[in-house]
Amino acid sequence: MKQRTAVFGAGLLAVSLLLPLLVHDDYQLQVLFRVYLFAALGLAWNLVGGYAGQLSLGHAAYFGAGAYGLALAARAGIPLWAAFLLLVLAAMAFALLIGGVSFRLSGPYFTLATVAFAEVLHAAAKNLPGVTGGDVGAQVPALFHSHVNRSFYFCAVGLAAAAFAATLLISRSRFGYYLMAIREDQDAALAVGVDVSGFKLRALLVSAALTALGGALYGSMFLFIVPDQVLSIDISNEIAIVAMLGGAGTVAGPLVGAAVLESAAELFKSVFQEAHLLIYGLLLILVVLFAPEGIVGGITAILRRRKRAEAPRRAAGD
Amino acid sequence: MDLYAALQAIVNGVLTGALYALVGMGMALIFGVMRIVNFAHGAFMMLGMYAAYVLFTRTGLIPYLSFPLIAVAMFGLGYLVYQGLLRRIHGGSDFMQILLTLGIGLGLTDAVQLAFGADYHQINFAMLGVNLHLGSHITVSAPWLTSFAIAAALAGGLYFFVRHTMMGRAARAIAQNRGAAPLMGIHLHRVQAFCFGIGVAAAAVAGSLLLPVFYLYPGVGDQFTLKAFVIVVLGGMESIAGAAIAGLALGVVENLTSLYIGNEWALAVDFVIFLLVLSLRPGGIFGSQRA
Repeated sequence: MKQRTAVFGAGLLAVSLLLPLLVHDDYQLQVLFRVYLFAALGLAWNLVGGYAGQLSLGHAAYFGAGAYGLALAARAGIPLWAAFLLLVLAAMAFALLIGGVSFRLSGPYFTLATVAFAEVLHAAAKNLPGVTGGDVGAQVPALFHSHVNRSFYFCAVGLAAAAFAATLLISRSRFGYYLMAIREDQDAALAVGVDVSGFKLRALLVSAALTALGGALYGSMFLFIVPDQVLSIDISNEIAIVAMLGGAGTVAGPLVGAAVLESAAELFKSVFQEAHLLIYGLLLILVVLFAPEGIVGGITAILRRRKRAEAPRRAAGD
Repeated sequence: MDLYAALQAIVNGVLTGALYALVGMGMALIFGVMRIVNFAHGAFMMLGMYAAYVLFTRTGLIPYLSFPLIAVAMFGLGYLVYQGLLRRIHGGSDFMQILLTLGIGLGLTDAVQLAFGADYHQINFAMLGVNLHLGSHITVSAPWLTSFAIAAALAGGLYFFVRHTMMGRAARAIAQNRGAAPLMGIHLHRVQAFCFGIGVAAAAVAGSLLLPVFYLYPGVGDQFTLKAFVIVVLGGMESIAGAAIAGLALGVVENLTSLYIGNEWALAVDFVIFLLVLSLRPGGIFGSQRA
């Protein structure tokens, strides 16, 4: 099973890397960038939201930390490699703070605490023009100067591949099983000696680091960021919706979710213009009502049922 | 002089706070009875504002007169949303309930944007310019005073509904023990749908009362969803009276923040208080027991 998923991932990676040979159009490359970026963000969210079962609606905090981290570090004259190191560390520091407080809460309390933290950062970024440029925005350094769209596309593919590999490793490791045990029954996990808050925090640290890298890529792609764009609750929602739509707690789910959601959003953009986010709400309602395990989770369940139904028949036939 | 400024901020805070209280009480009722954190709460409030706006521009009916119509219509919508959507995931995880209400909220917000566009709107009628003077230093604007009076009356009515009506008793029974309540002959879904309708109507009426003194755009409700969370947590999650007091307190705190720190920090201060309460006193400041 592990090998099959790894082969599937490697095949997908090969196709993704060859895709720019077919797609030259800048607009299409940008859409593909978004698909892979949100696949990476959804995979990162999935570690906390899917495997550990902690519904975070505040991942904009780490996304914004990445985007603003790159902008501020570059303005301070720090070299790019160090800036990336710093922004990852900054996001992980936020994760320690946010996780430290909110992981003591459960259910809706946890979710609300994550929203509140992201909103405090959002307000701080808006109201500290001396530091962040406030609503006027901040400049983010360009990572590439030629073949910009293609380069960013490769970066997003790379980040998604890293997040995929991390998810694959974690989901088959002892750490991953602890996370799933926490999701299924936190009290039972605690009772058998699982360090519940420690493992949740570790999952959040990995998740925050990957999300921050995504935020930095996003910011550099647009060269300019404002708080309402990178720190808004819309970003948190979109990340969670990608993972939920594809299938929270599955390795391939966020990839499928990002592909479906982003292409649906692009399709709707031409029809409904500004109101294209309507599709997010509708898809979310449909998923919760009809496929609570997401697209991948739903298909897996159907396949498993069919296999189970066929097995005795085959045995009888032989 | 400074004292008068603070006093004025407190008066304004109480006036704003009455509307917050109404929004928060609606949220507390929904959370208390069905354990659903309604992420669509602000979207329903926004719908109430648009309803009041349409009624005003089409018929000239001012929101202070049209709010009963809006309350009835939004109660119906809330009832249908419960029976059509929320009921289907009854007994599901918090996770699913949060995502479903989030989806409803996003859908409503963008549907309104599709219908009305993203432009800002305001309404204007004669009463808006009137100010009353209390002594020489404190002024109270007539529209705020009117909305305060209506909101206070409705908040009282909501409290009476929960404490003294058959439906309110049934709702409290469900809040106390949702397993035993149906065994006592309480029709769970009918009561929950009714309470969801009431909660949604409270948010929508608060929205329509806010319209004359605020501006209108499709995303206007988002900040009130967040504020309603703050109010409900401060008030002790399921306490209706706690939510009312917390709403008033939040209004005062916001106005004092505006006066001493700056208007733009008001929402951030809300959340800092919220996080402090969640981590230090999860039972709420004004509530009696913890969920």
